[in-house]
Amino acid sequence: MKKIKLGLIGLGFIGKTHLRNSLRLANADLIAVSDISKRALNDAQKLGVKRAFSNYEELLKDRQLDAVIIALPTHLHLKCAKRAAEDKKHILLEKPIARNVAEAKEIVSIAQKNSVKLMIGYPLRFNAIMSNLRGKIKSGVLGDVAIAHATYVNPGPFQHREQDYAPTPVPEWWFNKELTGGGALIDLGSHMINLLRWYFGEIADIKSHLGYRFNLDLEDHAICLAKFESGTTAVINVGWFSQEYQLKVELLGTVKHAVAQNIPPKRISAAIQMLTMNTTPFWRPFAVELEYFANCIANDVRPSPSGNDGLKDLEAIESAYRNSIQLNEIS
Amino acid sequence: MSIVSLSKIKKADMKSAIIKSLNLIGYQFSRDIQRIVIKPNMCYYWDHSTGQTTDPEFTGALIDILRDNVSSETEISIVESDASAMKCKHAFKFLGYEKLAQKYNLRLVNLSEEKSDPVKVPAGDQSFHLMVPRIIQKADLRINVTKIKYSLEKIKITCALKNIYGCNPYPKKFRYHSKLNQAIVAINKAMKFDLCLVDGNIVAGSQPRKLGLVMASKDPVAIDSAAATIAGVRPNTIGYIGLARQEGLGDTNFVTKGESLDYFKERFPRKDAKKKIMSQAYNLVALLKLGKKLGLE
Repeated sequence: MKKIKLGLIGLGFIGKTHLRNSLRLANADLIAVSDISKRALNDAQKLGVKRAFSNYEELLKDRQLDAVIIALPTHLHLKCAKRAAEDKKHILLEKPIARNVAEAKEIVSIAQKNSVKLMIGYPLRFNAIMSNLRGKIKSGVLGDVAIAHATYVNPGPFQHREQDYAPTPVPEWWFNKELTGGGALIDLGSHMINLLRWYFGEIADIKSHLGYRFNLDLEDHAICLAKFESGTTAVINVGWFSQEYQLKVELLGTVKHAVAQNIPPKRISAAIQMLTMNTTPFWRPFAVELEYFANCIANDVRPSPSGNDGLKDLEAIESAYRNSIQLNEIS
Repeated sequence: MSIVSLSKIKKADMKSAIIKSLNLIGYQFSRDIQRIVIKPNMCYYWDHSTGQTTDPEFTGALIDILRDNVSSETEISIVESDASAMKCKHAFKFLGYEKLAQKYNLRLVNLSEEKSDPVKVPAGDQSFHLMVPRIIQKADLRINVTKIKYSLEKIKITCALKNIYGCNPYPKKFRYHSKLNQAIVAINKAMKFDLCLVDGNIVAGSQPRKLGLVMASKDPVAIDSAAATIAGVRPNTIGYIGLARQEGLGDTNFVTKGESLDYFKERFPRKDAKKKIMSQAYNLVALLKLGKKLGLE
């Protein structure tokens, strides 16, 4: 089978994860990367990537490339995806698809017009624990799921960052609503909304309460209440306020209850897993996601989650922002 | 021998506990003071509930006391500088100091953007070319409002002396980490603070804990020695404390006034053996630069 030729645009936090994984794919070769950081490009070349560009437009000119992974800050998605689609490259675009629904629609439309595949990067879809939970819902073993609780809390942009053991500042775009489209709700909520849509179908109604613990111009935590057309009601909690990571889905069915939790490995076990397996179960979904994307291209299959999925997630998020409610003190 | 006072915060009344601590060391504010500089601990964007940064409510209680004791014309500035990972403009906002500044009519000053003068400062076997911000030079009263924390670095704990390290306007402070003990002492020699207060309401030991402690001293070496003792670390094993004493910044011998030091020592969340081993292992991994290979960064 022909190996897919991949390019990677953006070597930030998630881009580096894609870099490590794509170099080990059986069905694809990563042949080019682009980033504005010379150091990141040098590191990628040391790992074996042949071509490195400081401008992604140069990378997109490469006729050998079948597809690109776009791992850029959200405000750059539209321009980059547009150029990639016009250059007939299939696209794996990191979530959220865009800053707003208008941009998302444009991205979906451009991909369709140019007949390129568009997949949105939602690694939880490729997480075995989360897939098993979906299996339980679909098999009926839980009965009807009346209530779902989905929680995703982590340090968000406040994650302490290092480059070669030196602390590095948080990129400024994180704190600019114009560039991100929102805060914790669009960043982490997009994961949870996409996952719950995969479980329960379309959202009929959604409301939110937004929190501003860190005095930012964008919310650092949010609670959403969503009603699905299938009848399930979900509470979605997301936040950037905690030093501790938690990603948990709890389903309360008419017959049984089920819980799935994505737990990051402890430092020692992560180190052992990296030495023995070159990855950890926690990071494995990102590799599976890439492998699936390459297979979709090789076999001419429409990938899922698609651009339309990303658009619907963003429609739900915009609706949640519009329908945000304030909680006042009891008088 | 220097005096270190310890008092307990009762019923969340920080102001009374600070007043008690100041009275115990016999501290009196002069009404002639024109300019006050306060340096809280804002090492990163973690809020005060983590025990890592000074609670703005604690700083607010101190400002209440200052407003009661000095002229209403006195200018009070909260100072901090950019660091390798932390930007002042964000820290002031995220940690609640912008709101505090509005409430109390304070100046928030990023020392990295202030006019500074160069000095050459020896400390131990090293010599440092530092910049001293003029706002610190010109202040009539400099107050160090710090935290007690375990440190990931080899310095074991951080308190008053380490907090002044944050007054160095040069943002890439990580550059000094290979000679951290000497750098801490040099910066304290270049910028001497008049009063040290410890916001020990929440401390960051092996985990955060509500300790309800306020400490005060005019001597940063003494207050650090007392803080180390509370945290279960022998002061003479901490390089910068010994060097600060040698360089004349203060005394490692101290007497306490107020609450018993043992009361807080018993309650401080100490590192257990497992955490100590993990900490050593992490330092070793960093030393051998194995972090990337092992997926730790």
